Amino acid sequence: MAEWRQYYQNEDDEVEEDEEDSGGDYKISGRDSLVFLVDASKEMFIKSEDGETSNFDMTMQCVRSVYTSKIISSDKDLVALVFYGTEQSKNPRNSFKHVYVYHDLDSPGSQRVLDIDKLLGEKGAQFAEKTIGSGETSLGEALWCCSNLYSDIKLRLSHKRLMIFTCRDDPHGGDGAKDRQARTKAADLKETGVVIDLMHLTKPGGFDVSLFFCDIVSPPEDESELGLQIEPCRKLEDLQKRVRAKELKKRSQSRLTFSLGEGVNLAVGVYVLARTATKPSAVKLHRDTNEPVRTKTRYFHAHNGGILLPNDMKRAQVYGKKQIVMEKDEVDEIKKFDDPGLVLMGFKPMDRLKLHHHIRPALFIYPEEEQISGRSSFAGSSCVFTALLLKCSEKNVFALCRYIPRRNTPPRFVALVPQREELDQSQTQATPPGFNVIFLPFADDIRTLDAHVGPTASDEQVDKMKEIVHKLRFKYKSDSFENPVLQQHYRNLEALALNMLEPEPIEDLTMPKVQMMDARLGPLAQEFKDLVYPPDYNPEGKPAAKRKTAESGGGAAEKKPKAEISEEELKNHVAKCTLGKLTVPVLKDACKQFGIRTTGTKKQELIDALTMQLSK
Amino acid sequence: MIQLLSYRKSLRKMSQMQLFFSCVCFHLSLSVILCLQSALVLCMDVGFSMSNSEPGQEPPFEQAKKVIQKFVQRQVFAENKDEVGLVLFGTDGTKNRLAKDGQYENITVHRHLMMPDFELLEEIESELQPGGQQADWLDALVVCMDLLQQETMGKKFERLNIVLLTDLNVQTSADQLDVIINSLKKAGITLQFFLPFPLDGEDRADGGGDGPGPSAASARPGKGLSSQQTQGLEMVKNIMTSLEEEDGLEEVHTFRDALEKLSIFKRIDRRPMAWPCQLTIGSSLTIRIVGYKAVTEEKVKKSWTIVDAQSHQRDDVKRETVYCLNDDDETEVQKDDTIQGFRYGSDIVPFSKVDEDQMKYKSDGKCFSVLGFTKQELIRRHQFMGSQVVKVFAARDDEHAAVALSALIRALDSLKMAAIVRYAYDRRSNPQVGAAFPCIKEKYECLLYVQLPFMEDLRQFTFPMLENNKKFTPSESQLSAADALIDSMMLVEKDEDGESVDVFKVNHIPNPQFQRLFQCLHHRGVNPDDPLPPVEPWLKRALERPQAVSARCQAPLQDVKTKFPLKVVVKKKEQKTSADVFGSSADEPDAKRVKVDEEMEFNLAEIAAGNITSVGSVNPVRDFCALVRQKTVSFDQACQQLTHRIEQLLGNRSPEYYMKSIACIQAFRDQSVSSGNAELFNSYMQSLKRSVPDRNLQEFWDLLIQDALTLISKDEVDGSTISKQDANQFLAFEQKEEVQAAPVQEDTGDVDDLLDMM
Repeated sequence: MAEWRQYYQNEDDEVEEDEEDSGGDYKISGRDSLVFLVDASKEMFIKSEDGETSNFDMTMQCVRSVYTSKIISSDKDLVALVFYGTEQSKNPRNSFKHVYVYHDLDSPGSQRVLDIDKLLGEKGAQFAEKTIGSGETSLGEALWCCSNLYSDIKLRLSHKRLMIFTCRDDPHGGDGAKDRQARTKAADLKETGVVIDLMHLTKPGGFDVSLFFCDIVSPPEDESELGLQIEPCRKLEDLQKRVRAKELKKRSQSRLTFSLGEGVNLAVGVYVLARTATKPSAVKLHRDTNEPVRTKTRYFHAHNGGILLPNDMKRAQVYGKKQIVMEKDEVDEIKKFDDPGLVLMGFKPMDRLKLHHHIRPALFIYPEEEQISGRSSFAGSSCVFTALLLKCSEKNVFALCRYIPRRNTPPRFVALVPQREELDQSQTQATPPGFNVIFLPFADDIRTLDAHVGPTASDEQVDKMKEIVHKLRFKYKSDSFENPVLQQHYRNLEALALNMLEPEPIEDLTMPKVQMMDARLGPLAQEFKDLVYPPDYNPEGKPAAKRKTAESGGGAAEKKPKAEISEEELKNHVAKCTLGKLTVPVLKDACKQFGIRTTGTKKQELIDALTMQLSK
Repeated sequence: MIQLLSYRKSLRKMSQMQLFFSCVCFHLSLSVILCLQSALVLCMDVGFSMSNSEPGQEPPFEQAKKVIQKFVQRQVFAENKDEVGLVLFGTDGTKNRLAKDGQYENITVHRHLMMPDFELLEEIESELQPGGQQADWLDALVVCMDLLQQETMGKKFERLNIVLLTDLNVQTSADQLDVIINSLKKAGITLQFFLPFPLDGEDRADGGGDGPGPSAASARPGKGLSSQQTQGLEMVKNIMTSLEEEDGLEEVHTFRDALEKLSIFKRIDRRPMAWPCQLTIGSSLTIRIVGYKAVTEEKVKKSWTIVDAQSHQRDDVKRETVYCLNDDDETEVQKDDTIQGFRYGSDIVPFSKVDEDQMKYKSDGKCFSVLGFTKQELIRRHQFMGSQVVKVFAARDDEHAAVALSALIRALDSLKMAAIVRYAYDRRSNPQVGAAFPCIKEKYECLLYVQLPFMEDLRQFTFPMLENNKKFTPSESQLSAADALIDSMMLVEKDEDGESVDVFKVNHIPNPQFQRLFQCLHHRGVNPDDPLPPVEPWLKRALERPQAVSARCQAPLQDVKTKFPLKVVVKKKEQKTSADVFGSSADEPDAKRVKVDEEMEFNLAEIAAGNITSVGSVNPVRDFCALVRQKTVSFDQACQQLTHRIEQLLGNRSPEYYMKSIACIQAFRDQSVSSGNAELFNSYMQSLKRSVPDRNLQEFWDLLIQDALTLISKDEVDGSTISKQDANQFLAFEQKEEVQAAPVQEDTGDVDDLLDMM
């Protein structure tokens, strides 16, 4: 998702004000790349005893899910799919036997997804048999071929990963020369910065990593990292999870100093673990050629037509009938309070963190120990960080900090909530260790409401509702809902790109499963209604009282009389600066009356336009 | 401890202030459609006694003036629609409707009821002067009442209010008091008093211990009030208690209090919008509800418009957006000749707006449908999405709905569960999945709705473990140091009654961004030629760690400092070349390089064939080198063509193009050196450098620095006017500047260290 903003940001849209941190503005750091190197030997196609999917099928499903998620979340990343141990050979220079490059290293598109679909299921196995076949195995050649794929890429790659999917722990069947070649080629690859992972699949009798593959894969990135997955993947879900966990290179949004006070400073990386994914913005294309067009924005003088340079323009706001003018620099300076960083204010018990104090999605911080490309940092950060994490979690407190994400950005206060590491059943990290950064609202962000006060329910009514709640229980998981708007959008694109008659239907997971719910509830819903609603009450009816008065007031009252306003009155309002008291429809009518074309429909814009017109 | 007390006090004041604000402004009940405002008359004593003060103290007149100034400021920036009038008494002249036969003299209606504007601010600044007379404050009150009644006739106001600022130091005729009180009551006018001293003596005596510095400066020293003042005070108490009973006295403030409260610009008022909907569970169970945004990030309402630097006219600046093809000539394309497309992975799919609208996901309108119920603990606080919290109540005045919703809220609360719901604001908006939590307060019950993530929103990153990691595991003594630090820095303390008090409530702090913006706008508005003022001290203080906490944590922090070996590691910046950044050289050091060179040679061979006539965009370096070799065009022209391409490439601001630009500059430099012409290159580089900040090219410049692509010095080319040292400094200097100016956030770690070193 990082890339979305980067690539789709409208260069012409000069952001005037308050570019609040709303997206992951990553430093341009290159593309991630991922090569799937999949074993195509006969063994991969064997179905397990209980008739479940073959290892090959599972792998293809996994690859497909990576493709589709890449398209949505980071479509600039490069992905390749290479088979080894094939009968047929297909690679750029056709110099390698038994290596089949199904997809070259490139960003995934709709066609690729369809290509994978061809390899799925029973038919897929037959198709694979026909096109690629199973033959001799030489992992060394395959790795060599992959390294060529990498070196053919002219783009800057930030992260290179190669995943081997196989169920054979001794691919060369004891051929020492081939083993040796594979080791050498793997070493070469690793030297060029490629990380090699093994996604080993089930094999009757168990997969022995130490036989051969332990020399092929990259050592864990960190001594501490959960080394080699000892258990092979049995289920697609596990495999997908494992692949997904590896596939994304974690990138910090920024690196900041976390100051505890008195010169005790740590270095932390700030990460975005959840951010609303949105539809990418549209690209403008030339009608005739479908070629993308760029936009250029220029400012020029209305009278003499001269191009205006940044220095020829200033910024202004109008308050209380007065225009206040500032330089662009001053507008920035106003937003500067301090240097970027996190500053510790103190600690509070967790119960002081209110559920409803929520204004934006949280961030995540993790200590920075290593130097990255020559930056300086604070050695020992991790140790202090860990001590704080353990103690905060033990004492059930959170740290309150002042947070300035970057230069010329006003501060916000955040709660650093400790989170200790959790692993799931498959020993994959479910929650990482670190602090979640929760943004806290200022006084201005909290609105005053007058609460509706009404009668409360009796115990009997509450108990009936408890039964209902009990019947409709489920285990919430944050990744179980897909965004139907996004899914539909991508299906549509896919359909258009591939000239399909209509897009594949999506399953809208956000819709309540009404029938199932009704069935589970049985008579409970009616029983509850009998307890709380009088027989003649219709909760689905519109608020009855208001409608009636409107109708009884005669047919004419259906639509409010058009609020016309005389020029005189308007001028009066302008003079007294009380235009703001009028409602938007009235202002719009007034604009029409004077033939003022307004670009916006915001109240302030209408007011500005009218003021300008009438004070002439 | 004293500081802490004062801090606590200021917190208390802040909440008082909010009370005060909510009195001055108003909160509309939502069913009322009409827009109702308040009308308010500021009534200030400018009589000569107001100018008296003890040496070294600010006279009450000045204090009162400041209160008025701050108040009007606040109204102006809040763009509050309240109308404000200003009545002065004790003026030398007389100007009011009631003045007749020597009655109501020395009372001036300075401004009639209208919305406050900058003019009023300027008038207060320059025209509000101490008068030489004294006038009866009760008379002034009557004038204000008359003003309110006359000028609000026929208009609807939610509230009428008179604010009296006086030292009460004048003979008052109390005979009409009852009549006045009655007519105030009848007209529904409320009163507020601002006095230079507190209401009762005890407070005055206590006042001294209350705060740091020249505390209670506003109170008259020696408690010595004149007999008029004592009498006046009694009357004030009398009026206020008879108007509002017990609470009345809370509307009597001191100038000093008021100043502190008013220095916080009032937030921009937003009326909560009601969102009526139906909560559904399955197909048959429906509850009528109303939602309100309860918490959401408030943004600055007004944006900056661009005006011409000379005329300050907005109309003088026109903005034009043109579309152009990505070809060499940047061919312009009419807007009508463009269509819309979307990227799908590597494809760009043409997809017209009409098609998009027709095919897009359609939701069936507003809804709040329960999908199921789940344990609250399964919903992680850090996975809350969106930017708001919605409070959901039962429909107003529908007691059946209230009972039904109450049953749900209480059931969820006792089971520690929450509802997972599909929420759609209306037909046009995207549906969300969110959680509705039960919330039971003393006075009301509601559901709190928060958006939850979609699968697409989540990024599963794994991080190396921290615990059980030899390198990072803290020792026992380190852990206890952290423990002590936390204890010393708790922001929640027990007060005298054993209640725990939060001494740093973020939700009571006004957003500093607004405060600072309005401060600067006001300053600039009144003094157009002055530089911007510094951040106000009270605001700075509000953003700092409470002093008491700072004091307490000194020793534990020192302990942390000694127990943990925290070293600033400043590694010498590795020589990073652009090639490095673009990932070509680091990985395959030599092979690749050779290949590139070969390619170059090969291309040069091709060039020799002589079909290059201009610098194209595909391979500008090759074309440029060819042109220089062939000498078909002059060196000047070749360079000009090249720089044109460089500019074009830089216009894209993207890394792939940066790499190309760097190669161009490298070639430009090489060719310049070999042809012995430094002038063109150097002047181009200088102009490029000047444009870096405006064009946001710091990152690109950084790459130049890493490749040491600096000016051509005398040592290299004889004709150069640049010394070797200058050439080196050209970049060295820029490096520092880059530190200052680059908006690229990732550099921050760096920057702080660099600053530390300097």
